[in-house]
Amino acid sequence: MLCYTALAQNKPAISDRFTISGYIKDSASGESLIGSTIYIKELKTGGVTNEYGYYIISVPPGKITVVYSFIGYKSKEITFNIKQNIKQTILLKDANLETKEVIVTGERSDRNVKSTEMSRIEISGEKIKSLPVIFGEPDVLKAITLLPGIKSGGEGSTGFYVRGGGPDQNLVMMDEAVVYNPSHLLGFMSVFNTDAVKNVEIIKGGMPANYGGRLSSILNVSMRDGNNQKYVFSGGVGIIASRFSAEGPIKKNKSSFIVSARRTYIDALVQPFLPGEYKGNGYYFYDLNAKANYIFSDKDRLYFSFYIGRDIFNFTSPVNKDINFNIAWGNTAATIRWNHVFSDKLFSNTCIIYNRYDLTNKFTFGSGAAQAQFQASSGIQDWTLKSDYQCHFSNKHYFKFGGQYIFHTFKPGIASGTVGAVNFSDEIQNKYAHELNIYAMDEWQISHRLSINAGLRWVLFDNVGPYTQYQFDDNNIKTGASQSWGNNQSIAFYTGFEPRFAANYLVTDHSSIKAAFTQTYQFLNLATTSGASFPSDLWIPSSETIKPQLAYQYALGYYHNFKDNEWESSVETYYKPMYNQIEFKPGTRLFFNQNLDAAVIQGKGLSYGIEFFLKKKFGNTTGWFGYTLSKTTRQFDELNNGEAFYYRYDRTHDLSLVVTQQFNKKWSGTIVFVYGTGNAATLPTGRFAYRIGYDQILNQAKFVFIDLYDQINSYRLPAYHRMDVSFTYMQKKTVKWESSWNFSVYNVYNRANPYFIYFVPDIQSQTIKAYMVYLFPILPSVAWNFRF
Amino acid sequence: MNKFLKNIFYLLPIIFLVSSCEKEISVSLSDAKQQFIVEASINQRFQSLNYVFISKSIDYFNPDLSMGGIKGASVFITEGKIIGADTLYTGTPFQMIDIGTFPGADSLFKGFSGIYFSTTLIGKENTPYQLKITLADGTKISGTTFIPKVVPIDSLSYVVKNEDVNKDGFNDAYPTLYFNDPSEQNNYRLARYNNVDSLMLGWGSADSYRTFDDQMINGTQRVIFYPNQFKQGDTVNFYLNSIGRKEYIFWQSFGTAANNGGPFATPVQLKSNITGAIGSFTGYGCSYKRIIMK
Repeated sequence: MLCYTALAQNKPAISDRFTISGYIKDSASGESLIGSTIYIKELKTGGVTNEYGYYIISVPPGKITVVYSFIGYKSKEITFNIKQNIKQTILLKDANLETKEVIVTGERSDRNVKSTEMSRIEISGEKIKSLPVIFGEPDVLKAITLLPGIKSGGEGSTGFYVRGGGPDQNLVMMDEAVVYNPSHLLGFMSVFNTDAVKNVEIIKGGMPANYGGRLSSILNVSMRDGNNQKYVFSGGVGIIASRFSAEGPIKKNKSSFIVSARRTYIDALVQPFLPGEYKGNGYYFYDLNAKANYIFSDKDRLYFSFYIGRDIFNFTSPVNKDINFNIAWGNTAATIRWNHVFSDKLFSNTCIIYNRYDLTNKFTFGSGAAQAQFQASSGIQDWTLKSDYQCHFSNKHYFKFGGQYIFHTFKPGIASGTVGAVNFSDEIQNKYAHELNIYAMDEWQISHRLSINAGLRWVLFDNVGPYTQYQFDDNNIKTGASQSWGNNQSIAFYTGFEPRFAANYLVTDHSSIKAAFTQTYQFLNLATTSGASFPSDLWIPSSETIKPQLAYQYALGYYHNFKDNEWESSVETYYKPMYNQIEFKPGTRLFFNQNLDAAVIQGKGLSYGIEFFLKKKFGNTTGWFGYTLSKTTRQFDELNNGEAFYYRYDRTHDLSLVVTQQFNKKWSGTIVFVYGTGNAATLPTGRFAYRIGYDQILNQAKFVFIDLYDQINSYRLPAYHRMDVSFTYMQKKTVKWESSWNFSVYNVYNRANPYFIYFVPDIQSQTIKAYMVYLFPILPSVAWNFRF
Repeated sequence: MNKFLKNIFYLLPIIFLVSSCEKEISVSLSDAKQQFIVEASINQRFQSLNYVFISKSIDYFNPDLSMGGIKGASVFITEGKIIGADTLYTGTPFQMIDIGTFPGADSLFKGFSGIYFSTTLIGKENTPYQLKITLADGTKISGTTFIPKVVPIDSLSYVVKNEDVNKDGFNDAYPTLYFNDPSEQNNYRLARYNNVDSLMLGWGSADSYRTFDDQMINGTQRVIFYPNQFKQGDTVNFYLNSIGRKEYIFWQSFGTAANNGGPFATPVQLKSNITGAIGSFTGYGCSYKRIIMK
């Protein structure tokens, strides 16, 4: 994030400047407010708080008036007589808590026009909760797919595709810890419990130099700090899950905690309705978020965040109790973060992060002497040390630098088992890698009209031992030859520079033209063949054979605000070539493949498009409209005869409309409409009979039909469109007690959107029938949320 | 394993919603180019399992659901010899004869077409074979294979569970197969054929198949347990075949293709070991045993 943006106009050039700095917080909870605006009336300039709620602005000596504001909060005006540097922590009041009437005083920020930032959107946890949802569960990942340039994977999917990139090209972070698999329930729900989410930021292009590691986007989810004034309990009861959070001061004004938990109970609810053969199934997931912080002084604060989430699937055969399996998977993350203010001009953030994703399977068949048991596990684990610094020279220069070191451990799989008295075990060796990056960037306001953000990021990736590479022949059999690397010995070493550049030219005070260039490398690859996300998907590092992914992105945009910044509009175009994209040879077995690197094929990708965005920020009616026209292709020498083919998630037209209406103090409603060109799919063009035999009971030939495929992704599934409506009834809202009901209807006009299609040969009628499976018909749901 | 996982995740949305919905749609697909298909097998034990099936692919929506076999081809299998690094196919070619030309074949083998047999050909262990086909239009198709050393089924056992009386009033029975994997690299194709006590006509007659190698069990005893339900009194026939690596790779890709479909379907390319057609010529080192679970 560009943490601070100078918005100066006609400033007097004064060299002996002082600064005002501090945190901006919610008066009731003490929660820091990310992206609050600071505006100096006399100078017509200001700034915004960074992702930790901290701000610094430069001011001349003398009397000045500063207006502090945050959307949905009452603004605060303070007059200072500046003689020295000032530290001022600001508490803002939630406007909704005023009992008289509903007033949303808010920021009238023109940041979207005046900053160099492009292709970056923020949504608050509160906004996400107001959107219509399926099963009463608000979802961060589904909410962001309503934005232009960000596409959903399809019905019910939390997978998202940014400007033609794959889901593995998004860096998803929860309080700075990487979340490798951000979904539950096979992608139907995301791992973020919205009760614990403060703010969501997505950067889909024009990535500033402090971010990198993935080609397509950065999704930064900040979790709430917890109320440091009083104890608050909140939660919600939905159709398939319930949530509960507790927060409060550990020491008032100094320290607070928050613990949020969520668990599904679909397994219990669905059990009575399951047909016999599925009776033994049990499935649930849970999430637990915990966070604590301590304010040592104005200069130092310490945060500790923890997350664990697991999906657990159990099966015991209803007809034979001796057949069991248990599969569990999930993420674990912990972050220790230290914010330190060195001086009025230097702010720092330092983190130590641990994160892990793992999958374990356990199967048992039979009992006694004939029992067979099998266990397997796989995953990835990182240790990260990261430090970022923000320097404030003047309101004209805003300088950031920092670095990050990650130690990756890739665990492709360990398996062991017993069959009767026989034991066996196998292990695909772990892989290790060091990843290091250092960056510096400057946001420089050259003139009243022109500002630039130039940055450079240097990245290094070192795939290291201990590792033994066995040689395989063309038939995938070990030849006996091997090469070994010792501890920390380099196997494959990559390094590169990533230049980043963004410029903003103000055409008028309300409109601007922006341009950006981004270059990014990616050293981690997700091994998946289906395009859908499976818990068993593996992350694999760049290696001797797998070259790092590389992308360039050029973006150009026009921004215009109307009616005193009440309306924001923008048009952005982008052109994004991608290199060393990953696919696997068709039919490759990914799980427990000792020679997976050899199955990788690399090729090119290209995505370009134009995105329109119109947003109304204030008033009783708010919302946005987004439309994207784009084209995305992939090209691999080994696939499709070397010809470029449509990416599975290529979407020519993608449209979304979100309108929220505040009817009165108690009732509000939101309507969402989405339309997208259908996914590209590869369908069979021919078939043949194979594995022939004779059925002596039926007295006829027996065989199976095998499909033949021709062009990849040359077929289009029907278009995806849907309308959802939700109403929120605020039963009561006071400082002490809050209770609200959310009524949602998903898929109002009952559109059958394709999940997949399949074909069935019918011997009787001598025809082949095509069927489309769709998941969600019109689905009403209700959820109750409370807070006390 | 991965397939197993996939099956489970298939269930998830179903469990989730009790049932998902579906409707019939019409789909227009472009026509495919026609390709020749060959399935050829040779083994050292059962003559009825030495056959060559020749067919042509058809457009996906062609309502013809027959085998689509090609008649009138001339088909020869020749035994070879390995001399040093060379393999020479100098033996007398065995002509394989279209089963349709046998008197009464149409009523005896309903629906069979394009299948070529020999009344005299029987394979040998550790021996290479060559297949040569010339179609009526002159198209030539060829391939080679090798019958590896037979890995014998060591023993079969079974457990009858008296306590698990299933719905039909029969006791459940579970067969288990044991064999010893030799120290060299081995690939297997195991076919199971239930109850009927007769020769198989084509490997497709069997009731289940497993294609696996010895990556995890090399040189040890292998135990294969069948959790599938059998009843007390059932007869189960096992055919443990030792096959070559190229043939293993083909049958693995075939297994993926045959189980393909649903939301996670990916186009699968069969890894043929035949020139001029899609398919495989597979030599089976066949070991056979039967168990009656009394």
